[in-house]
Amino acid sequence: MQAPWSTLRVIWACMKKDIKSALTERSTLIQCATLPVNYLILMSLFVLSGSNAPTAVVMQDTGPYAQQFYSAMSTAHSFRLQIMRAPQAHSLLLGGKLVAVVTIPPDFDTSIARHQAVQVTVQINNLNEDLTDDVRRAMRLSVTSFYARALPKLVTIVPQEQDAYQQETDYIPFLSVSILVISLMVAGLLQAGMGAAREWEQATIKELLLAPASVWAILVGKMLGALVVGLAPVAVVLAVLIFVVGDWPAHFPMVIGVSLLTLLVFVAAGVMLGMALKQRIILTTLTRGLSVPLFFLSGVFGPLTFSTLAVQEIARLFPVHYAIVLEQFAFKGFTTNTLGLLPNSLVLCGFTLGFVLCATLAMRFSRIAH
Amino acid sequence: MIDLCKHFGTLRAVDHLSLRVEPGEIFGLLGPNGSGKTTTINMLSGLSVPTSGQVHVLGYDVRRNGRQVRHLLGAVPQETALYEELSAWDNLDFHADLFGVPCREKKTRIIAILELVQLLDRKDARVNTFSGGMKRRLAIGRALLHNPQLLYLDEPTLGVDVQARWAIWDYLLTLREQGKTVLLTTNYLEEAQALCDRLAILDHGQLLAVDTPAHLRQLYGARVIELETSTMSRAIKELRRVAGVKEVRQKGLRLKITTEGTDNLLPRLINIVSCNGPLRDITVREPTLDDIFLRLTGTSLRD
Repeated sequence: MQAPWSTLRVIWACMKKDIKSALTERSTLIQCATLPVNYLILMSLFVLSGSNAPTAVVMQDTGPYAQQFYSAMSTAHSFRLQIMRAPQAHSLLLGGKLVAVVTIPPDFDTSIARHQAVQVTVQINNLNEDLTDDVRRAMRLSVTSFYARALPKLVTIVPQEQDAYQQETDYIPFLSVSILVISLMVAGLLQAGMGAAREWEQATIKELLLAPASVWAILVGKMLGALVVGLAPVAVVLAVLIFVVGDWPAHFPMVIGVSLLTLLVFVAAGVMLGMALKQRIILTTLTRGLSVPLFFLSGVFGPLTFSTLAVQEIARLFPVHYAIVLEQFAFKGFTTNTLGLLPNSLVLCGFTLGFVLCATLAMRFSRIAH
Repeated sequence: MIDLCKHFGTLRAVDHLSLRVEPGEIFGLLGPNGSGKTTTINMLSGLSVPTSGQVHVLGYDVRRNGRQVRHLLGAVPQETALYEELSAWDNLDFHADLFGVPCREKKTRIIAILELVQLLDRKDARVNTFSGGMKRRLAIGRALLHNPQLLYLDEPTLGVDVQARWAIWDYLLTLREQGKTVLLTTNYLEEAQALCDRLAILDHGQLLAVDTPAHLRQLYGARVIELETSTMSRAIKELRRVAGVKEVRQKGLRLKITTEGTDNLLPRLINIVSCNGPLRDITVREPTLDDIFLRLTGTSLRD
């Protein structure tokens, strides 16, 4: 049994050495920050491109009802509206520059005032089914919104909305919390995994295996080293979320705490994978490969409970889901799974211990199998 | 090491090996690649677990008292296992912390080691800027930093230039003078001859012979003595009757006598030949370890 001071010294030495080594591999550090930010950019582009179907409105009537209908369309979140004359609109539609042309007929106001049926023609460039469906849904929504505002007495069904939260969040701010978790995952796995796999690739593992130090002290030192280095890219991602996306955390100290705990989980996983895989190229490929499905699986776009049962079951096998739940609470006060905060935190602690245990076994087994 | 075996599937990497290394000696494991040298020292250090048999280091069972054994060992692996992205100083500093070198002595010891391996002026340079010889010297220095009782070196001069090789040999001989026990593996005959007090010759995981280089030569080597006479010698029959003489050939005035197994034959052979006439020249070619290896295994070490 080693004296506590000796153990602490080994932990400190391994941490210090791994930090120095990691700082010589700046490409890994850059990767840790750019990969999650890339996801954010990718998803933002996806949102931007998906929400703006270029649509022309041919206003053959400019009366107040027609104006209100145009207004209802503009708040449907799916159109990028332009008012045009019919020939220009048709020309652009045929040229593939418009998704739809909506024609408000000359008798629109008169017909509405008489409670008569009105035919609003919608010409659609239906080469993309997704966009076509968007336009169809948005048109129905526009009609409903128009009637609810312009002729409320005719609409007898009135939704009584009761919100679970005082304020709601937009798609990108909701998603950005998951981006932070993915950055924690990538930073933890890459930093710790590379540090462990490098020992094997460069045969320096022999220096560690031949040392009269406990395996767990060496691994804890390596984990702390990766944790410290991993904080830098995570800080970059956090800064992007706060200052660029404008996502201010509701509970900042909790964001720090949850981020540290999440980073620790993935650092432990990284050490385990590095010790088991022993090659940096495999580890990098695996980390990149894992981050994409886990990103989409683990409740990125909404609470996991909104997903199918199979997706929920798979997502619960990975710590990403629990980390997203905790970060959503820390950032916005949202509760996105049925477990409480403490059980979610305990699950993450359990994952950490499990990974450390597996990493210790991997290193011990390596000693035997060498 | 007692009856040590290591099997990898059907391959017997080490096959019933028993050896004893005496304190204060330089002991060499000599054999071609794949003969089981590295596997043997891996088992000695606990890097590999024997399939059967026992290894004791200074009274400690390697399997039961691994940590104590690792305290007593200084290792220079074949790959040097240096952190190439770090400086020489950082490598030694890390080793000192890992091996529990007392904090108050750490700096002094690191400086002393860097001086010993003549790398003090490069202490802050990254190891990946070092030559092969410098890396090897640093690895030896690192292994000595925690003052081990037994130093083991796996192919210590593999891939280094002649000058660096001599420098490394000098360090190792200095260590012997300091009373350290050194175990090294090599497939360089010159190295084994120059350094080792005793040698174990391994092939296919089996111990073929163990002794001092001189005694091995005496036991297994064939010394060739060439004598040039002023007239044709008529002592061939008499020479062939001498115990220890394996073969006598005459070519003109030159006699080529191959002796085997026994030393001190030369004065007797000179006496016999000089009785028939004066000698012009005497040449003695000592048997090399390669000759011995060839004799023991039927193949040359270089093969």
